[in-house]
Amino acid sequence: MGVTILTPYPLQNKSGAEAIEELSKRLLALGATQAGQFLVDGDIFEHSFKKIKIHVMHNSEYPASVFSILDNGQKQIPLITDLIFDLLMLKVNPIYSSKKMIKIESKGPRFELGDFLVKLGSVTMSQNQNFKGILIEVDYRPCLVPAFCWDLIKEFLQGLLGQQAPTAIPGYFTNTLPSNNPNQHYHRFNDTYQPIDTVQQYLEHFNNYRKQSQAPTI
Amino acid sequence: MENQINSAINAIKLLRSSVSNVFETTLSAQNNSIQDESSFLLELQDQLSTVDVNFKSIESTINALNVPSGPFTLGNTAVLNHEADPDRQGVYTDLVNSYNWYEKTHLYSALANTMLSQNSLKRSFYTSSNKRRRPTVPVNPAQLVDHMINSINTNNMTIKVYRPFGTPTSAFLHVNLSRVMKAAIILRGLVIELVTVKGFNEPLDSVDDHWIESRYAVFRKIQDHAHCAMLHFYSPTFAELATRSFITWLASYSNIFSEPCKRCQRFLLNNLPPTYRDFRSLEPLHEECRH
Repeated sequence: MGVTILTPYPLQNKSGAEAIEELSKRLLALGATQAGQFLVDGDIFEHSFKKIKIHVMHNSEYPASVFSILDNGQKQIPLITDLIFDLLMLKVNPIYSSKKMIKIESKGPRFELGDFLVKLGSVTMSQNQNFKGILIEVDYRPCLVPAFCWDLIKEFLQGLLGQQAPTAIPGYFTNTLPSNNPNQHYHRFNDTYQPIDTVQQYLEHFNNYRKQSQAPTI
Repeated sequence: MENQINSAINAIKLLRSSVSNVFETTLSAQNNSIQDESSFLLELQDQLSTVDVNFKSIESTINALNVPSGPFTLGNTAVLNHEADPDRQGVYTDLVNSYNWYEKTHLYSALANTMLSQNSLKRSFYTSSNKRRRPTVPVNPAQLVDHMINSINTNNMTIKVYRPFGTPTSAFLHVNLSRVMKAAIILRGLVIELVTVKGFNEPLDSVDDHWIESRYAVFRKIQDHAHCAMLHFYSPTFAELATRSFITWLASYSNIFSEPCKRCQRFLLNNLPPTYRDFRSLEPLHEECRH
């Protein structure tokens, strides 16, 4: 586990499958080896009368864990549990009900290139598999602090994506967080990276895709 | 003599390939009955003339060969001719192969000997006098090591001393460099014996972990460079200074992911960050950029 940067890839009049194929070819030409498939999915459970949502997410990189994020509109509280949490959510079904229409997932091939791990995910939503876009995940495994290796990952992304590579640090890392000392700005950029950070980046992008397709829920 | 035989063998090979070309053309012409007859004839004539040329060159090379003056002196191997057992007929080729192999070993060891005598990397120190001919192990190494560690004061770096085998002469130094990497330095007296470099999230607690390589290519590369540095800084007379310089050199890796290569100004080359640090200036460089 290392620092992971998630970035959307603009399609430019190509179909999703074409773009994935082109990127795969590019990676293989750079000397990468394909190492299986991956899947990240996100589900939303809504409270029946309060404005509380629980995002329940799975990541195939951590197959024995369930990541859940409680969102009450102002604050997000993450929780990492064992797989049995899924069954617990079924038990509380009358109060928290799942919205099948906005279940979203990102899946695709997974490549290893030196110490880098690159995942090309095509994002699909709801049960009829509406294609939404492409999310590229780059994981630099030896490094644990985003601030140390952001420039290095940026250079790697430029080598892979060219013009489409991101130039700014993803907002997830630069957003100021509440801290004990009000004078000190605190954000995740200098923190040690945790698996939940990957999942929260996915959640941010999934929410963007959900907003594109429908009016904001509730 | 050998050259002549070689060129004769090559000429025979050429002739064989040109003859097989002729057969191939006739065969394909037979299969394609619609093929233009005149072009086929032209092609065949062309190839036959090459065969002719090759044949003549063989004749000339064979004429140039000298008849060997006497029987070859093959030593005991000549007796192999009299071997009747078909199982042992193949021995001759094996014999030639092993002879060649020995020749090469001899050649390479001679080369290695000259190389090693130019670069002296002796790890043990002996004085010329007969009385003092024993390795220099300090009087009370445990105190010296503790004193040295306490006096090293580098940012971003914590050093802990372990003595897992209870002996005062050997100590394990566990170095944590910022939140970037871990290293273990095994000391004998004040002399570095072994260096292991690992990622910050890799285990280095049990004694066995010191002999397991890191799972990341970056740290495996750094470990290789650390071994070079260990030999570079090695000095039996100033052991403390040598170890201290090595630790200072190792501390320069705290910016391994955040500092681009001084020469090419880029972070990545062959998917690795600049894994080399200059021994004097401590500048970050890619392994390929350092010359």
